[in-house]
Amino acid sequence: MNDNPDHNNKVGAVLVAGAGIGGMQAAIELGNAGYKVYLVEEKSAIGGRMAQLDKTFPTNDCSMCTISPRLVDVDKHPNVEILTNSEILEVDGDAGNFRARILKHPRYVDMEKCNACGDCFEVCPVEIPDEFDEGLGLRKAIHKLYPQAIPNKAAIRKTGVSPCRAACPSNVHVQGYLALARVGKYKEALNLIRKDCALPSVCGRVCVRFCEDKCVRGRVDESVAINDVKWFLSEQETDGDLPEKAPPRNRKVAVVGAGPGGLSCAYYLTLQGYSVTVFEKEEEPGGVLHYGIPEYRLPKAILRRDIDHIERCGAEIRCSTSLGKDLSLQDLRDQGHEAVFLAVGCSTGAKLGIPGEDTLGVTQGIDFLKAVAQGKETKPPGKALVIGGGNVAVDAARTLIRTRAENVTILYRRSRDEMPAYEEEVIAALEERVRIEFLAAPVEIVSDNGNMVTGLKCIRMELGPPDRSGRRRPVPIENSEFTVDADMIVPAIGQIIGRDFWDKLPEIERTRRNTIKVDPITYATSIEGVFAGGDAGTGPGTVIEALAAGKEAAESIRRFLEGEDLSAGRDVQQPVAERDVEGVGPVARNRKQEVAAEQRKGNFEETHIGFDEDAVKAETERCLNCGICSECLECVRVCSPKAICHDELQEEITLDVGSVILIPGFDTFNAELKGEYGYGRIPNVMTSMEFERLLSASGPTEGEVRRPSDGRHPEKIAWIQCVGSRDVTCNRDYCSSVCCMYATKEAIMAREHDSRIQPTIFYNDMRAFGKGFEFYYENASTNIGVRYIKGIVSTVKEEQQTRDLKLTFVGEDGAMTTETFDLVVLSVGLEPSASTGKLGERCGIDLNRFGFAETGEFTPNQTSRPGIFVAGAFEAPMDIPESVMGAASAAALSGELLAEVRKTLVKEKTFTRERDVSKEEPRIGVFVCHCGTNIARIVDVSEVAEYAATLPNVVHTEHNLFTCSTDTTVAIADTIQEKQINRLVVGSCSPRTHEPLFRDVCSEAGINKYLFEMANIRDQCSWVHQEEPEQATVKSKDLIRMAISRAAGLEPIQEHTFPVVPRGLVVGGGVGGMTAALSLADQGFEAVLVERESRLGGAALNLRRSLTGLNVPALVDELRDRIMSHPKITALLDTEPTECSGHVGRFSFKARNRKTGEESDIESGAIIVATGGSEYEPTEYLRGQSDQVWTQTELDRYLHDEPARMEGVKNVVMIQCVGSREPDHLYCSRVCCGTAIKNALALKERDPSFNIYILFRDIRTYGFKELFYRKAREAGVIFLRYDPDRKPVVDEDRGRLKVTVFDQILGGEVELPADRVVLSAAIRPHPETESFGALLKIPRNDAGFFMEAHMKLRPLDFASEGIYLCGLAHGPKYISEALAQAKGAAARAATVLSKELLQVSGEVSVVDPELCASCLTCVRACPFNVPQIDPTTNRAHIEAASCQGCGICASVCPRKAIKLQHHTDKQTLAKIAAL
Amino acid sequence: MNVNYYPGCSLHGTANEYHTGVLAVFRALGVNPVELDDWNCCGASSAHVMNPQAAWELPARNLLIASRGEGPLLTPCAACFHRLKLCRDHLEKRPEDHPHSEAITRVEVVHINEMLLKEEVRRKIVEKVTTPLTGLRVVPYYGCLTVRPPGAVNHPRPEDPLEMDQVLNLLQADVVNWSYKTDCCGGSLAMTRPDVVRRLSGNLFEAAREAGGEIIVTACPMCQANLDTRQKQIERERNTSFRIPVVYITELVALAMRLPETDALWRKHHVDPLPVLRGKGWAA
Repeated sequence: MNDNPDHNNKVGAVLVAGAGIGGMQAAIELGNAGYKVYLVEEKSAIGGRMAQLDKTFPTNDCSMCTISPRLVDVDKHPNVEILTNSEILEVDGDAGNFRARILKHPRYVDMEKCNACGDCFEVCPVEIPDEFDEGLGLRKAIHKLYPQAIPNKAAIRKTGVSPCRAACPSNVHVQGYLALARVGKYKEALNLIRKDCALPSVCGRVCVRFCEDKCVRGRVDESVAINDVKWFLSEQETDGDLPEKAPPRNRKVAVVGAGPGGLSCAYYLTLQGYSVTVFEKEEEPGGVLHYGIPEYRLPKAILRRDIDHIERCGAEIRCSTSLGKDLSLQDLRDQGHEAVFLAVGCSTGAKLGIPGEDTLGVTQGIDFLKAVAQGKETKPPGKALVIGGGNVAVDAARTLIRTRAENVTILYRRSRDEMPAYEEEVIAALEERVRIEFLAAPVEIVSDNGNMVTGLKCIRMELGPPDRSGRRRPVPIENSEFTVDADMIVPAIGQIIGRDFWDKLPEIERTRRNTIKVDPITYATSIEGVFAGGDAGTGPGTVIEALAAGKEAAESIRRFLEGEDLSAGRDVQQPVAERDVEGVGPVARNRKQEVAAEQRKGNFEETHIGFDEDAVKAETERCLNCGICSECLECVRVCSPKAICHDELQEEITLDVGSVILIPGFDTFNAELKGEYGYGRIPNVMTSMEFERLLSASGPTEGEVRRPSDGRHPEKIAWIQCVGSRDVTCNRDYCSSVCCMYATKEAIMAREHDSRIQPTIFYNDMRAFGKGFEFYYENASTNIGVRYIKGIVSTVKEEQQTRDLKLTFVGEDGAMTTETFDLVVLSVGLEPSASTGKLGERCGIDLNRFGFAETGEFTPNQTSRPGIFVAGAFEAPMDIPESVMGAASAAALSGELLAEVRKTLVKEKTFTRERDVSKEEPRIGVFVCHCGTNIARIVDVSEVAEYAATLPNVVHTEHNLFTCSTDTTVAIADTIQEKQINRLVVGSCSPRTHEPLFRDVCSEAGINKYLFEMANIRDQCSWVHQEEPEQATVKSKDLIRMAISRAAGLEPIQEHTFPVVPRGLVVGGGVGGMTAALSLADQGFEAVLVERESRLGGAALNLRRSLTGLNVPALVDELRDRIMSHPKITALLDTEPTECSGHVGRFSFKARNRKTGEESDIESGAIIVATGGSEYEPTEYLRGQSDQVWTQTELDRYLHDEPARMEGVKNVVMIQCVGSREPDHLYCSRVCCGTAIKNALALKERDPSFNIYILFRDIRTYGFKELFYRKAREAGVIFLRYDPDRKPVVDEDRGRLKVTVFDQILGGEVELPADRVVLSAAIRPHPETESFGALLKIPRNDAGFFMEAHMKLRPLDFASEGIYLCGLAHGPKYISEALAQAKGAAARAATVLSKELLQVSGEVSVVDPELCASCLTCVRACPFNVPQIDPTTNRAHIEAASCQGCGICASVCPRKAIKLQHHTDKQTLAKIAAL
Repeated sequence: MNVNYYPGCSLHGTANEYHTGVLAVFRALGVNPVELDDWNCCGASSAHVMNPQAAWELPARNLLIASRGEGPLLTPCAACFHRLKLCRDHLEKRPEDHPHSEAITRVEVVHINEMLLKEEVRRKIVEKVTTPLTGLRVVPYYGCLTVRPPGAVNHPRPEDPLEMDQVLNLLQADVVNWSYKTDCCGGSLAMTRPDVVRRLSGNLFEAAREAGGEIIVTACPMCQANLDTRQKQIERERNTSFRIPVVYITELVALAMRLPETDALWRKHHVDPLPVLRGKGWAA
């Protein structure tokens, strides 16, 4: 197996993908066995589906309580590295040496810095459906997946930059300010706009709104009125509001031009602390905003408001100072300006290039607008003609109307569709009676002898093919000239930089378009230190483009002055969010009120009235939150550790690993696909997963069962089974295995939560096949009051007034019935999670037609690609214990592959020398944590610290923002050494998560780690007493005082270590035992296999074929051959164990050969119990009286070995549940349904004319076995259901058998002639189970099978450490399941055997032999059977390696001879006395 | 924009008000329905059950005519729509059955709701609604023929179609939620088992009333006829009074856009819609 010549290339690391319960199991097994593990999880936290569940069946344990210790174990495991928000892109290479490419999606939160204080959650304005609560509740865009989430860090849900922000040239956080405005945070919203837009009031009125063009809402109805919201926000300012500003730097920068570009640059440089002077040639600042845009669109006072803000921030604006005329570039340098930004604009109108342009009465559009803005008297013309189709043309026309022109016409050479002016401006102009003459171009100015304009000669145009701009090119129509009368002609066809500018700056490089040549990202010109932007830099553009240029140039200038690279990292584009509009309903856009055309014509009053608060609220509600996170940056503002990084990009990393384990878990079936049940449109129809959250104490209703529609407490609740399972109509013809039991559990829990609830479960077959399930189901139906109806529900209809639900179904009596319920729960099936198809492809493994990973029946957990293993619901729908076993099995497979590179990549624990403090007086250091604001907001932390200083033995106190942060823990260690502190007390959060960390601090500081005590003042004070901060502070002091009192009495404890015997013992030589022994040996450990019979093979020796037709004897032979030839395995046949002693790591075993009587001693570090089971020998149904009554095992054997026995047989009747599901054997034997179907199919294959009847109670073909059930029905096997109260009767009449059964559908008795009756006999524990159990002191359940440590999470373990379990000894199961469990047990054993030394926790019980009276109280009380009477001393002895530290013995010992170290009475009493 | 228009026999006869509404509404929305030249029976009444070949040959001819015209084939009648869709489905699977299968299967058959929801039409509706139907509690009833069989007519949500709801949303009506959108009205038994029709249609009225609906809207001439003409008799049999008018979706679009040419249509209904409309101030 391991003779690969290339083993030197193997990598001692494993990639585990998926961090649910299975992934965590595999990671811990491998981490403990000496491999480096990368645990890759797509979500932001580990825990998977199990974290979402309320309780688990059949023990009703709290799911979260069960897994959260495991979450912590994974989190702090030194060999496990968790990679959240990550997915596999590709796996390259071969078994032993893979290279995996991993894509890490951004979390936008620095995990190193985040302390999970939760301040960010509160300020986040974006609420989205909480996926952890299955969308029943809301959560914020920044969140933790669930309260106990590990890693305990915040994460941001962001699908990319919102399209509106991406469309904005200046990257204004549009979605962010809409979100803030929605929650009424107007001031914050305005500050957010200012971050990227220096002139919010201006932009709120005149921005071209690229954002609205890209607004996704526009695909539904109309875009959000983004600008109007900005307009409203810009009015919210109060004079005092100034943004945060960097400290002054005493460095000067000059900006030339106080238009939008110059103002923007000046603003951002000022905020950076530079001294900025803006030189403006005109009398007023604003540039085109002042002189170009007419007052009715942008009142001067509004412009002034924005400019005032910039000035208040410190920018100086010097008007009437012109570059060139008043000062030169050199002058600026001489005055100490270290950089210059040129934002001179394009203020010269472009010439028409036609004769007569200099005639009196021809005025450039921008010159005209400027004159009006300056208040210069203009003589109202009679007929004015404006040439052009842009905004300047329309502005000029509308201004002419306001300056009382009689008649204004716009002449445009293309058609309306090509007009670049804003649509609403054109409409407003038309309303104000401006005429537009389309498709006409000027040819010549007509004048009275060149003195004064009298008209314009024009020519008609038509549209030709599109030109480079994409618009259709106008082409003159020959001989179509005409003349229009006019006494004023206003050309407005574009602007250029005036010639005088170039004259003044001849050294600067220009473009062919006659603008200043600038770098498109940095805005640097050809002269060092000189930057340019706005119209002068990039040609005539929009206000927002100029603002963007100013902002970017400011950044360039900052970099230039600080000596940084100008362009580094600036062209990185974050991905743009994509938003699906499916299902979004239309909501009308709010509109600003517009002044009527007649009222606005004669004046320059603003034409619109902005939004009120209601309109803002309604409009912001229309935003679709495209990016989910709105990037409002509120989280950045409140995060004290500065952990938020919104610019994080996705990252690709490569991992070298020896094997890959895929455990991605499952999704639940989309119940909307079964439209007849109304899920998704009827609120009171919910999925089982949603109901799970409803039951959960951490769910949206805190565990109260309430209907979604009205919050009412439902009484009648119906569960509908098999929604998306066993259903060919939706391509899911497999059984999901778990739904019968989870529905039963939910029904039980619902009744437990509210005794008025009457649960009803509609089912097809009740599949209670697992360990303990049958009892659970029986108990639910007979004692708890869960009503089970065998029948399929055809429709669910909703009553509109009551919101109750009418269910129509055909019950067992065959009648169509309608019954009304308050709530319906759909038991949705399991399917591979959405991403697994992709995952299969990327990993190069085969999937089955449903998308599950393809594995073999006898090679579970092994995919089509060597070295890549799978487990959990990716293999088939399965329950938690099966997932755990499979995960451990996959770990064993990895361990077998990578045995020789074990421990090559893991960290060894280092130990430091400890100071002896036994002679020292207690010197206590107290550290009180703020936990950001988490504790400090409620508890007066400094007061608590001051108080602690007054207490006895306290030599040092302090309080820290985050006591657990890396720098603080280093400082604490230093303080301990410096002040000779010998007891550490921390008042902070929970020891559950943080005790190990602070114990490590003690070790690092050189004192024993048990000299640490913790007070939980967060959970117990600031969290639970939020409303009473003063009382919370008082209680914090109490808790701290108690902790200090106990700390004074703490003693150092030395942890004991001992060497491990590197050998495993496997008891039982069936397929399970053999597989376990082989796996141990292949993982590099010695194995001893003990079998009481003279032949290996166990129960499998009786089997011939498996369900999928595999050859069982061949499997047994292969395993046996490998066992006998494996150099690391010693197989002892005919041998049974006689004595056992010792503990984990060091067991001593005696065994005796049953034939020779020879005794052997076996030393082992771990034991695997695989003692097997046996078939029940029936006494019912004439078994034993007629040789025509067989068991299924016999039928299987005869079919293959003795076909002659089948001669003359035509009619076969099989009877299920013989010896199973009976009151005295209340368990299901799990394999009988599959076995009966396997044999029935084998018979039908032999001769399709066989009449085969299977008399059953429920057919329990879970998982893909369901496909065989269907196949059997299609093959003509007849299934008849019988009632356990009316069992079938087998009669023999003159050698002929006859079976009589009551058929429920026909409502009468049916007689079946039977040539053979075949009984599906139960599986019982092996007869030796009881005595062997007693030998090892391991417990058994009511049915006699061995009892694992925990039914869900520890299915392979016993409570006693070092002893593991697999195969039929654990309970009935198929061979494939036994194989997986055996490998799993081997993986568990490997975690012990791979250690050279075992360390025993100091928190164990010790016996004082002087006091011990050998009364046996402790021996009887210990749940782990640890205390024993030492035969040499006759006193109780507690083996430290076996002790679990629970303290039960210490509390029951009548003479107080036992003490639990670190939890002594003295210490506890000191704590209580301090209260 | 021109589109092919296949009225079928109902719209030229018993469902004339539907025909008038279709033309008025679409013309107002910038869509010009051009009636197929020389169209023939779609086969929905009896041909499809009597002769399996006629079942697809009859609609194939209509589709072939449409393939020579402009745009998709607008088919307001649910039964015609169903036949045309099934014919296309047949010829997609068995193109060898018809020499012009390629041309026939290229024709896009659209039902009235789909047409109203086409991007450019939808935008026009938003623009042209002058009387939003706010406060009118409308029960959308789809019947079976436009959604089943889902594979052949290609409907993604056969149990809960939403197209008419979306159109009603554009008109800003209060769309009533109910669970009986596609329950059978008994249409195919109209002549043979009127008692069954009355039972099934009666159940629909009960459900519509329970849901608080004021008016039922449909896009199928058969459903409309069943529910409208038999309502009085059902009321007598059940000894109750429903008085729920049953109108075509086009009539509500026309109402919301205030198209004058449809005002006269209200009088064509057995259960008079005017009392409900008067209550809202939309009719004199």
